[in-house]
Amino acid sequence: MQLKLQNIVPVPLKEKLLQRPSVVWNKDITFENGEWVKIKAPSGTGKTTFVHIIYKLRKDYEGDIVWGNQHLSKIIKEELAVLRQQNVSIVFQDLRLFPNLTARENIELNRVLQEPIYDSAVIDEMANILGIAAILNQKASLCSYGEQQRIAIIRALMQPFQWLVMDEPFSHLDKMNIERAASLIERECRKRNAGFILTDLEDDSYFTYTKCLNL
Amino acid sequence: MLNQLLKKLIRTETHSGRNTMAMTGLFVAMLLILSAVQIQSNYQQILYNKTSQDSIADFLVINKTITDQNVGDATLSDTEINDLKQQSFVEKIGRLTPSRFRVGVQSVSKQIPFYSDFFFESVPNEFLDVNTPDWKWDETSNFIPMIIPNMFLDMYNFGFAQSQHLPQLSQDLIKNLPVQIDIQTQNGIVNYYGKVVGFSDRISSVLVPQTFMDWANNKFGTNVNQQPSRVIIQTKDASSPQLTEYLAKHHLSTNPEKTRFEKYRGVINIVVITSWVMGGLMLLFALLIFTLFIQLTIASSKEEIILLITLGTSPIQLQRFLRKQYLPTSIIVIIVAICIVSIVQFALQKVLVAQNIFVQSFLSVYTIGAAVIVLFILTVVNNRTIMRYIQYDD
Repeated sequence: MQLKLQNIVPVPLKEKLLQRPSVVWNKDITFENGEWVKIKAPSGTGKTTFVHIIYKLRKDYEGDIVWGNQHLSKIIKEELAVLRQQNVSIVFQDLRLFPNLTARENIELNRVLQEPIYDSAVIDEMANILGIAAILNQKASLCSYGEQQRIAIIRALMQPFQWLVMDEPFSHLDKMNIERAASLIERECRKRNAGFILTDLEDDSYFTYTKCLNL
Repeated sequence: MLNQLLKKLIRTETHSGRNTMAMTGLFVAMLLILSAVQIQSNYQQILYNKTSQDSIADFLVINKTITDQNVGDATLSDTEINDLKQQSFVEKIGRLTPSRFRVGVQSVSKQIPFYSDFFFESVPNEFLDVNTPDWKWDETSNFIPMIIPNMFLDMYNFGFAQSQHLPQLSQDLIKNLPVQIDIQTQNGIVNYYGKVVGFSDRISSVLVPQTFMDWANNKFGTNVNQQPSRVIIQTKDASSPQLTEYLAKHHLSTNPEKTRFEKYRGVINIVVITSWVMGGLMLLFALLIFTLFIQLTIASSKEEIILLITLGTSPIQLQRFLRKQYLPTSIIVIIVAICIVSIVQFALQKVLVAQNIFVQSFLSVYTIGAAVIVLFILTVVNNRTIMRYIQYDD
């Protein structure tokens, strides 16, 4: 599934963003199926805005996003739900876990939202890799931010996807945990022959990116 | 599994008080609505069912109510008959023609001697409840066929015969007992033979064929008044309130036994209408409480629902989940209401059958239909409420 960005500019940031050069804003870009894309930008330049626009969490932008052949501007609710269940998975910067559910339930929810592709034992396997097996039955609100970040990553990997969107997914992880998480993400993307878009503040070498863009 | 997780996120039981209220409202509404439909259906059955003994109510003999003012002149004018004919409850109307000559009847048998002054009436054949090939007369006939009321025979057998030490008579015996009919004319008495050919439950008069009556009145008639004092009508519904009202307004009367359902009907109509109105109002309130309950549930789980949709939960999945929270209970409530009304109907049937009133012992299809319609309305309204309120991202 291709991802096409057709001259997108968020309306509230329009003047500010157009004053400086960007390879993303107001440009026509196509990401091919299976591409690993890094988008780098300093704080406050619209990384999260970009992620929310392509995930259709906000509509205050010009231009259009096309997932495969679906224009986000014209998509209906049920189609959007299918897109999110089957094709586009996400790790939010602010994680967005259900505070009242346990870590396991948060992950489980994304597993059973559609026809599960993994057995629930895979949750334990991934939690072991990322070192959060011990807190799986703890309420998400009681977990540290770093733990929550890893829960959110596992949650995103529990569902089928062709694109994985990650907004500063490693911000609260130490180097060792970042490497473990990166290799798990790589494994899962390769399994699905999927692409990803990762935003971050700095350059890194956790993945072999096919594209590195400055927002 | 998804539903278990959703149940943790969208808490419906925290508002269980409202849910109980909505269900109670629905229950009472169902009882009232189903009862209204069932009462109506029972009543229709009593009215139109031929197995009921009330089918004789289809024919009514109508005459003027005799009062001090109209004694001696209780005949019905053509205008009055025509007006009656125009009424919607009248299917057919026929005149009862009275004999306008003096007549006496005497026995030809020595075992049962009797003599009586008599009178005849006739009606068009279509109003008779006796069907026999003997019911015809022309000038060459040897005897005059007669139909007498069953009541006469009963009066004779159970009253007169016993007190006078006379033998009791069966219908067949009477049919085989010829009588001599003496008609007084200006030139003396003319004799005929008569024979009873049938017994009527419908018209309490001694009937002879219309052909004989026309001929005899013409030949022997002395009385100038040609107007009938009684008419017979065929009606679809003898208990129609319009009929009773019309009769009262025009100072007419009929056998009140036959219109007795009218007063029940008034009561039943009030009960049915009250039931409908109350049931309808209760249903409306139940729907309102349901709507508020769903709205409240959705509003109090607003954050969770937004996040669920963000993560890819489809509105249909949410709708399906929410529907499961109330639909099974609603169905159970409706089924319980149906059961209660069924039990009452069953008991009612037992009570009524003892009074020779026949109704079904189980619910009518209309009652079941009403329950299905209410369930349908409930589902549609609730689904619409859910769909409207879970759309937070718009």
